[in-house]
Amino acid sequence: MEAEVIKAELVLPTHMTFKRIQIYEKYPKGQSKVRWKQLKQILQAENYQNYPPDEPNYVNIESPPSMHPCKRICDITGFELVATQIDHFNFWNTMKSNILIIDAQAPYHDPRTNLRYANADVFKLVRSLPNEYVQRYLALRKAAVVLR
Amino acid sequence: MPFISKIQRQSDYNRFPSSTPIVIDNGASYFRIGWAGENEPRVVFRNIVQRPRHKSTGETVTIVGDQDTALLKYFDCTRSGPRSAFDSNVVFQFEIMEYVLDFAFDRLGTNGSRIDHPILITECVCNPVQSRSKMAELLFETYGVPSIAFGVDAAFSYMYNQQHGICEKDGLAICPGFTTTHVIPFVDGEPVYKGCCRTNIGGYHVTDNLKQLLSLKYPYHMARFTWEKVEDLKMEHCYIASDYALEARLFQKGGKEAEDKTRCWQLPWVPPPTEEPPSEEEMARKAAIRERQGQRLREMAEAKRSSRINELENQLHGLEFLLHQLGQVKEEEIPSFLSDTGYVSKQEIESTLTKVSQSLRKAKGEPKAEQVENEEKADSSTSEKYPLINVPDNMLTPEQLKEKKRQVFLKTTTEGRQRAKQKRFEEELEREKKNQQDEERRLENPELYLEQMRTKYKELYEKVEQRKRLKTNGGHTNGNSLSGGVGRGERLNAAQRERMRLLTTAAFDRGKGEDTFGAKDEDWQLYKLMSKDNDNDDDGADEDEAELARVCSRLQEIDPTFVPKPESTSLQPTNAEAPSFCPLTKEDYQIVLGVERFRCPEILFHPNLVGIDQAGLDEMTGVSIRRLPSKDEGLEDRLTSSIFMTGGCSLFPGINERLEAGIRMLRPCGAPIKVVRALDPVLDAWRGASIYAANLQFPQQTFTRADYYDKGEDWLRRYQLRYTL
Repeated sequence: MEAEVIKAELVLPTHMTFKRIQIYEKYPKGQSKVRWKQLKQILQAENYQNYPPDEPNYVNIESPPSMHPCKRICDITGFELVATQIDHFNFWNTMKSNILIIDAQAPYHDPRTNLRYANADVFKLVRSLPNEYVQRYLALRKAAVVLR
Repeated sequence: MPFISKIQRQSDYNRFPSSTPIVIDNGASYFRIGWAGENEPRVVFRNIVQRPRHKSTGETVTIVGDQDTALLKYFDCTRSGPRSAFDSNVVFQFEIMEYVLDFAFDRLGTNGSRIDHPILITECVCNPVQSRSKMAELLFETYGVPSIAFGVDAAFSYMYNQQHGICEKDGLAICPGFTTTHVIPFVDGEPVYKGCCRTNIGGYHVTDNLKQLLSLKYPYHMARFTWEKVEDLKMEHCYIASDYALEARLFQKGGKEAEDKTRCWQLPWVPPPTEEPPSEEEMARKAAIRERQGQRLREMAEAKRSSRINELENQLHGLEFLLHQLGQVKEEEIPSFLSDTGYVSKQEIESTLTKVSQSLRKAKGEPKAEQVENEEKADSSTSEKYPLINVPDNMLTPEQLKEKKRQVFLKTTTEGRQRAKQKRFEEELEREKKNQQDEERRLENPELYLEQMRTKYKELYEKVEQRKRLKTNGGHTNGNSLSGGVGRGERLNAAQRERMRLLTTAAFDRGKGEDTFGAKDEDWQLYKLMSKDNDNDDDGADEDEAELARVCSRLQEIDPTFVPKPESTSLQPTNAEAPSFCPLTKEDYQIVLGVERFRCPEILFHPNLVGIDQAGLDEMTGVSIRRLPSKDEGLEDRLTSSIFMTGGCSLFPGINERLEAGIRMLRPCGAPIKVVRALDPVLDAWRGASIYAANLQFPQQTFTRADYYDKGEDWLRRYQLRYTL
């Protein structure tokens, strides 16, 4: 071991005085590594259905899906996707209030690559991207094709 | 302001009596450990472990926390990436946890045969009992800890700030962490877990998003975007826009305000050394050398030419003399006379004579008109040269037949050559005529002509580019839904793929038995199909390219402003470097952070942007309030008037205002909303825990080893800390 590595104490020493069972005793090298249960398996093994449902546990404090309309932004530039904005003032509405209607955001998406784009320049860029980049952009949104 | 780890070994372990608890904040990003009652944790480091192999000794060692990269060069880190004990916010890998705890206790200065202090350790909200029990087991069995208490870090932070008057007894704690974000309502200082809400998005996702975006935008500098560097960038430059749409539109317009908000990171770049324009003397000297060389070459050529001329003249003289002699000799003695000289007949001598005189004239540089004359003269003698052609076959002997065949062959070849020459001449005339027409057109209307040329150039260029692109990329730039094989399909172009397809379908049709491909005639048609395709492609391409080159040169002649478009190579998918070959300028080495500055933290409010279908921060508060079991009047108002932000991610500038605006949308009009941030969102959890552990009533909240084994897992499941002592 090089001198400076020892001086910096980079490496964890294998024997600790304050431990009852040392780590090399617990996990001898020859043995295959212990398979730890992933979170999904832990949650499955918890059997939360046996307990009353209004007791808070790891699973039922999770947030529900969002109620707000999905926000769509261009995959490459990050601009919002808005086609046109038309303000209608409904004067003859019986509610006697001005209703501001903004035209529904028209999210343009390229049918070939499934990427979202904001305007024509970005579209040119989208069409010229090689497949690898297209999949990586989609992976940001978790919309990529995963071959497992 | 990046986090700094403190891993200095502490030396005052023995100062603390056995009753002093050790406080551990076991976070997914950082691990903090210290003594109860103190204000700062003693040891802070990143909660990751690496197990590289040492290069010279070959043993596998363990390195905890992030370490100086300079020292890591002694280790082979290819197989071992940094590993964390956490999956989301739950500890599941206890081997790694043990390494981390080893390191932590070691740096705390532990000596002795066991850890003789009670331990307060943080966990996530509603930790699954398996994780909790394994942690307890680890601490009890391996470290010999007398008693343990588990607590939630957000609650400790809330308590700490409540004591300092930042927030009230009833309030909402919002804790955006490393991998998850929690919203916990507090009533009377105690967290109500029934109303708790958790979204699986956190600082890790923000950093990852930023890293991917930058790597895609600047593939040339992908190696620069390490995780640590991107985290630094995030902490320094990212902010949360008060209204995403407005900010985005600002950047889309690209005005001065957008410029101000754009940050630019200049990477080190060394301009290529520019050569100084050579000075006057240099140029003169070079010119003189060149001149001298040219002179020398010319002299050599001249000498060669004159020697050749001499040679030819000599030959000519010799031949003339021979002819003269021949004239004098009698008819019968011609063959014997000639056999000495090496010529067979008089005609041969004459033909060699003409040839020699021709070459002499060429060497001397006389016009070619005479050559044509000579050729005609040569042509007229064809009938003499091929006397046997016109004689019908049946009258000739076998040798004469052979002779005749040879003469026929010679005649046809010479005729073919003449025809070709004629055609070339005609083409030349054609081209001249066309050029003249062109010139006339140009002179009469220069503008229009120029326009036409330009459009023609553009069209041709497009066509050539298209074909080239098709050839190299096949259909794989945008036909990703069509290409079957991910590996092979991308490298072959469309034509090659077609051929492969034909071959494979033909082969498969055979069946599993013996290979009888080729038995039928249709099989061989395949090859014809494939080769035909290839030919068609190339021919068309060549014509277009030739035309393009012609137009390009023409334009260059007549239009001073015309610049031929460089032949851009199409993007190579596997090549991560810049596709264009023009020299990289300073600008290429600048990383511009514009929209990304506020686009990445936006995912905290809209997890849909990264595909996680859960509620964002502002919506979560509504969910949390809704979930509260019992509500007396005014509780909701009390909750929203004390909204407390803690956790590393709450350090983004602008998050307070955004959250307030978001919550105002959910609450009835006029409800009191006040968003406050913790004094120190990063360390307050540990500080709160430290103060809690220093409390005299803390020991009642812990459980000992005996408790753990007697009462069993069910009791452990229901174990909760009481935060108000």
